[in-house]
Amino acid sequence: MSHDHDHNAPAAMVDEISDFEALEIAVREICIEKGLFSAEDHRKFTEFAEHIGPTPAARMVAKAWLDPEYKKLVMTDAIAASKAVGVDYLNPTGFGTPSDYTDLRVLEDTPSVHHVVVCTLCSCYPRPILGFQPEWYRTPNYRRRLVRWPRQVLAEFGLTLPAEVDVRVEDSNQKCRFIVMPVRPAGTEGWTEDQLTEIVTRDCLIGVALPKPGVTSNLELPVHRAAKPAHH
Amino acid sequence: MSQHDRTHHARIATGKGDPQCFAGTAGGPPKFKVGDRVRIKDMPDIFYTRCQVYTRGAVGEVAVVTHESPAPEDEAWGHVDKSEWFYIVRFKQTDLWPEYPAAFANDTLQTEFSERWLEAV
Ligand SMILES: [Fe+2]
Repeated sequence: MSHDHDHNAPAAMVDEISDFEALEIAVREICIEKGLFSAEDHRKFTEFAEHIGPTPAARMVAKAWLDPEYKKLVMTDAIAASKAVGVDYLNPTGFGTPSDYTDLRVLEDTPSVHHVVVCTLCSCYPRPILGFQPEWYRTPNYRRRLVRWPRQVLAEFGLTLPAEVDVRVEDSNQKCRFIVMPVRPAGTEGWTEDQLTEIVTRDCLIGVALPKPGVTSNLELPVHRAAKPAHH
Repeated sequence: MSQHDRTHHARIATGKGDPQCFAGTAGGPPKFKVGDRVRIKDMPDIFYTRCQVYTRGAVGEVAVVTHESPAPEDEAWGHVDKSEWFYIVRFKQTDLWPEYPAAFANDTLQTEFSERWLEAV
């Protein structure tokens, strides 16, 4: 082997990892060594976690808008209603145990009450049906301010509600998980389930936005650049 | 080698779900019903709690009787042999925050408590 191989060495697979990533790897390897789960279980769970998103919850709302019988099931047993949109809460990964608590509640908006969800204690979220939380949902800023100044925080998301609409904050602090069912907006008469599903965005399901014909993506929040960014 | 049973929860929840796996373990019917006025007790919580400080002492109304489960103050330490009824309580925002604007006096906040935290008003 020549002595200049260092200069031509292939790039490392991983440039660097954060302390939390190192901690995750360490805990994961201990769990696998102790037999709590296998490396194969972990791979399958990671794949599950990476593909889940808000579409099943959006479809649940769209179906409920169109079908009064299904809506009754959504309001009384949302775990059962989840099956119709492809989420089996008791076996969401297709293997192992439930990945979250299994008491899902749907908060139905009316023309005079608007719901919005937060977890002030951490970031509880109905992941099997809604995917992973957006980063802002986990921030202390959102968590501590939404319960106290909900109208101001909603206005920061571009949602200014008139005084005649009451705001109802749901602080999701125990085993119940929540999604919001907004009022079906005007201008969607005759729409199909697929069309309606597209406008029920993740933000609508948390309650920081209202569905609008033509709007199919979440609000792009401004990114505040770090004043002293880290250089790697 | 620790004798702690780390897979107890996974085993009892498989096929039923959590909190469903604790149904029938509160030792009786719920003490409160929907519409009851309740005050949140201000109890010590030096180890672990999920009862927010901002609700302590406030009066609200039971909105939903949800399920039975061990209280988080016990479950955090692995004590799952006793359950309690849980309640979603609805508060007027003006009863929680002194500076909440009177113009929005009908705004509300809901959050959930185990029975130990509630007293009848
Ligand atoms: Fe949480």
